[in-house]
Amino acid sequence: MRNRLRSFLFALLGLPSLAAGERLYINDKQAPETRKDLEVIQSALIAALPKTRGATVGIELEEGFGTGVIVSADGLILTAAHVSAGVNKKITVVLEDGTKLKAKTLGLNSDTDAAMIRITESGTWPFVEIDRNDSVRLGDWVFALGHSGGFDKERGLVTRLGRLVRMANSTFQSDCILIGGDSGGPLFDLQGRLVGINSRVGNEVQENLHVPMSEFVGRWDDLLKGEFIGEGPFAKKPVKGSGFLGLASDARPEGGLKVTKVGKKTPAEAAGLKEGDVILKLNDTPLAKREDLQNLLKEMADGDEITLDLLRGGKNETLTLNLGAR
Amino acid sequence: MISPAWGQQNLDAAFRSTGSAVVAAFESQRAVLQTSSAVLLDGRDESGYGVVISPDGHILTKASEFLQLKKPAITVDRTKYPEVEMLAMDPEWDVVLLKIKASGLVPVVYAPSSAVPQGTWVVANGVTTRNARRVLTGIVSANTREIPVAGGPALGVVLKQESKKLEIEEVTEKGGAHKADIRKGDIILKVAGKAVKTISELSDALKDCKAGSAVDITIRRGKKELTVEVRLTAKSEIFSEQMSRNDQMSGDFSNRRSGFPRVLQHDILGTSKIVGGPLLDLDGRCIGMNIARANRAESFAIPVEDLKTLAERLMSQVPAGK
Repeated sequence: MRNRLRSFLFALLGLPSLAAGERLYINDKQAPETRKDLEVIQSALIAALPKTRGATVGIELEEGFGTGVIVSADGLILTAAHVSAGVNKKITVVLEDGTKLKAKTLGLNSDTDAAMIRITESGTWPFVEIDRNDSVRLGDWVFALGHSGGFDKERGLVTRLGRLVRMANSTFQSDCILIGGDSGGPLFDLQGRLVGINSRVGNEVQENLHVPMSEFVGRWDDLLKGEFIGEGPFAKKPVKGSGFLGLASDARPEGGLKVTKVGKKTPAEAAGLKEGDVILKLNDTPLAKREDLQNLLKEMADGDEITLDLLRGGKNETLTLNLGAR
Repeated sequence: MISPAWGQQNLDAAFRSTGSAVVAAFESQRAVLQTSSAVLLDGRDESGYGVVISPDGHILTKASEFLQLKKPAITVDRTKYPEVEMLAMDPEWDVVLLKIKASGLVPVVYAPSSAVPQGTWVVANGVTTRNARRVLTGIVSANTREIPVAGGPALGVVLKQESKKLEIEEVTEKGGAHKADIRKGDIILKVAGKAVKTISELSDALKDCKAGSAVDITIRRGKKELTVEVRLTAKSEIFSEQMSRNDQMSGDFSNRRSGFPRVLQHDILGTSKIVGGPLLDLDGRCIGMNIARANRAESFAIPVEDLKTLAERLMSQVPAGK
């Protein structure tokens, strides 16, 4: 009796998705039994790969490499918060063929490991559909993509097939085996719909954890706005005053700060600032005294992007750079 | 049947992708492994697999793993063969041809091509019982390609730092130079006939060579000039590789996991002991031979085209009557 009730419930739950004509029967089977069952999984996966791989990008980090996935034609990318690591920072993303694109981090949620990035170059990008309705179920067949261990053009993206084995606490667990470099990469159902973002692994190889799509959909607008959400372990909130430029300057009587020294291995040096340059403005605020610069930097943090208006050799120039850590 | 009932948030182990209920769907491929894969034993311990390639007992396996075995024996199907003879070896592919005294074995049937789409099912040996093979399953998971030697090829010597000559200060025991009887105090003069005078000239000369390949090294020992053939070894094999963060989370991996001319990559999860056996497609045909577990997410197989050529080459090296 109990068994019959269970299967009845299963049938009912299956109905809405079946009506949509998409969900594969194999997901509602406890295990594949026949050659045909295996071939259904295989052909769905093979069919889904070209499009899903096309939309999956590598993310270059200061140290290491992560993965992300494009979800709109204008270049919105979903990834993990511990990959993007901050909001409104310039970064570079890489398509599977090696094409590098400029991008900017948007918001992140440090509690759930969700984050957004946007490609800032104009163009139309390959993208995948999101499972907005949370239609994925325990036991569904899924596959993960990622640049395992970093970008390797010859190898390309690495695919792993598995099932959703646990759904709990804003986390999906699958048996797609993840490794460093896969972080932020996509988890898809067999129709190629994005159901999760690769987040972390446990001590055991079976523990591969993903951020469910619902965690993105639920905070979509905040993430899009560039908000730093939460105080969780996946990203460190920028601390005011932690930003570092690395130069010494003297005020000029006619306004602006003349650079007297550029520190070695500092963000100023990396950005190409030179002794003798005159900094007229920081983020459009004119600088008259050294304190003006100090006061502005006090309000900023490690990683913040700044724009400097310079006078160099009598010519006006603009320089954009990211502050380093003090 | 145990059902993942509504509300239950954990999938029972049997239904996970490596679980018993899922693996049961691969019974016909398991039956092929039962007769056409070999289980390598070291004493009583299972320590790898092999590919049966002839009815009278020719078996291929991973050379660097086989050479570690103290008391090698082989099981095919339910029969244990205590005598294992090594007939030929290919250091570049890290494959050895073995022979057991058997007849009427069922060799693997080669698949026509390894060029199958990514996402294609593949099946390999998992931990066995004495009488029964078990399967591990996965998919073809990345582009087929060469895996260059990690750290590049090396002679296995340490050179004297201050010396203006290429004087050998130390010969590493695991390297090819040691096997070629190169000694401390020898001075390297030429690589493949070309004079080398500095360390950078030496490394340039070796740069394009492959680990496992042999190169002529001319040395001066005292007043004599000698030319010896040295088999190059992957640096990572001689000097212990730095464990990366990914290695630390990988569990164990194959000692030799780079320096292969071409590999078919798959996502079958196992230990470093799963190597040496056949990789099968859904038709039970041999699409490759497992050669390395690179890390927890990446396993490598020799593609069937290369495996066939390699098997023929090794068989041709066998003296008549063996």
